[in-house]
Amino acid sequence: MTALVAISDLVVDFRTRQGPVRALDGASLTVHEGEKVGLVGESGSGKSTLAMALGRLLPPNAEWESGELMVAGHSVHDLEGAALRRLRSHTLGYVFQDPIGTLDPTMRVARQLAAVMEAGSGGADVSALLADVGLQDHHRIARCYPHELSGGMAQRVSIAMAIAANPKLIVADEPTASLDASIRGQILDLLVSLCAAHGTALVLLSHDLRAIAHCCDRVAVMYGGRTVEVGATAEVFRAPVHPYTEALLRAAPGRERLGGRIEPIPGLPPILAGRAEGCAFEPRCRHKIDACALTRPESSDIAARQVICHRADERRPAVL
Amino acid sequence: MTESVVELRSVDVHFASGPLWARRHVHAAREVSLGVAAGETLGLVGESGSGKTTTGKVCLGLIRPTTGDVIFDGHPFDYRRHARRGALAAVLQHPQWSLNPRLHVGTSIAEPLVINGFGSSEERRRETGEMLERVGLQPVLAKRYPHELSGGQRQRVAIARALITHPKFVVFDEAVSALDVSVQAQILNLIRELQAEAGFAALFISHDLAAVRYVADRIAVMYAGEIVESATADTLYGRGLHPYTRGLQAASDLIDDEDARLADASEEVASEGCPLTPRCPIATEMCGTTRPMLRPIVDTLVACHHPEGREDHARPAAG
Repeated sequence: MTALVAISDLVVDFRTRQGPVRALDGASLTVHEGEKVGLVGESGSGKSTLAMALGRLLPPNAEWESGELMVAGHSVHDLEGAALRRLRSHTLGYVFQDPIGTLDPTMRVARQLAAVMEAGSGGADVSALLADVGLQDHHRIARCYPHELSGGMAQRVSIAMAIAANPKLIVADEPTASLDASIRGQILDLLVSLCAAHGTALVLLSHDLRAIAHCCDRVAVMYGGRTVEVGATAEVFRAPVHPYTEALLRAAPGRERLGGRIEPIPGLPPILAGRAEGCAFEPRCRHKIDACALTRPESSDIAARQVICHRADERRPAVL
Repeated sequence: MTESVVELRSVDVHFASGPLWARRHVHAAREVSLGVAAGETLGLVGESGSGKTTTGKVCLGLIRPTTGDVIFDGHPFDYRRHARRGALAAVLQHPQWSLNPRLHVGTSIAEPLVINGFGSSEERRRETGEMLERVGLQPVLAKRYPHELSGGQRQRVAIARALITHPKFVVFDEAVSALDVSVQAQILNLIRELQAEAGFAALFISHDLAAVRYVADRIAVMYAGEIVESATADTLYGRGLHPYTRGLQAASDLIDDEDARLADASEEVASEGCPLTPRCPIATEMCGTTRPMLRPIVDTLVACHHPEGREDHARPAAG
């Protein structure tokens, strides 16, 4: 397997009226071809910024401070003009949280899909594509405007658009968060099976740990703009090493004993103004030591995964 | 046994759609019987289309059952609206959709009191402030708009609004599904605390067995409009008896267990016999022909011919 995406020490700031806000504080991640990687973390952990940086889709007030981001052998930061458009149209496909918002409200579904497919290499026709994403009455839907679709249908259409040009990587940013809880599973299953059928890699952002557990081979846990623990999903969820991963898993119902209580993580996620000098999780951490607030932890390889924690060496994977 | 606040007795709900010459009928609830006592939480789990929300709506009086009875507070349900004002409430999935974006959250919370004509405006303001504190928000937030709050805070506001009239019965329909993991834990704990304090009866509807198990005292598992297993929440910390319950248990586990997974939902539900037959890992010929009835096994009610797996069932026959 070759690395399709290689991100190392990526730092991104947002300029705001209150001064700079650091969204990514040295994030690192590798995605291989055809691999399904989950990104988890609370709101504000930097998941979305990382996802948007992949296609250089960050808003104008974002500043790319340092770090490398390679997608399919190209440094995304150095791409310009046609090469950048080619990356966005051929290499990447995006699925966003709000499906109706991502579709053009003035165009019928068929025309939007045709526009995407012209750019791609495959020439499969629109109906076949809509049937692929599980839309039974695709003839009717092809002639609909986005506002005539339900949330679930619109998300299927936007998945069809993402896969239409046969991209190498699909980035799905909370693709089910705005849908009714009862159809989330179906949409995720569709996404995963399409990626498997086309050999497309998937980066799935979600705060739903169970969705990640069911869909992804590897998981990257993000906190304070860094990927604090990266490893095989089953291993990380069974025996987390980083205290944040452990706290996150303990907050999800399902692990508690009979009559026990689940514990929310105390405190709030940090808003960083600049480079974190210590560990960003230190104020909320149950296992902190003096060094945590003072020195910045670096990534170390523990138990077949990368962990950013001062105590990673002494912390045995905590079997919950 | 305390008396139920809300009780359904063999409720059936049919929906018909389409034009007269191509009428389609959907059986959304079939023979559903349940009861919720004061201070108790009944959990309702199942996948999409299993009839959970329909059952919730029947309990709230928003849908009249096709056949069967709804008993509220010991009397047949009175569908005249003023008869039960303030006694029923609901908390829904997306607080950003259930709160009016153009009203201060304090106004939204006080709205049920205004509509029902409870209290003077001074009393209402005081009660709103107290309610905000009870759900863990600062009273100053009453002057904010919903978009200025985080998802967890908004859901707390929705809960405050539901509880302001001191209802006897509250339906939580997927109330934590849209929230972050850590916030979800806070809200689940809040629901448990408020119920212990206020003593309302609650129906907690979710597709997530783990969340339901955490807040509920008893759990009813629904499939294709029927209750297929009904047990105490404590029992479901162990293995469920019905294969569908075990499928849900596997789905709610973070460690993916391929073997215990149910086959994907097919569009068609078997019209004869057990509705789960096409997806069931332990189905036999009998399952395809005879509909299993809900029957007691130890302290659980199960509608399955082979509860707890076929081997266990075969043993007494062999011996």
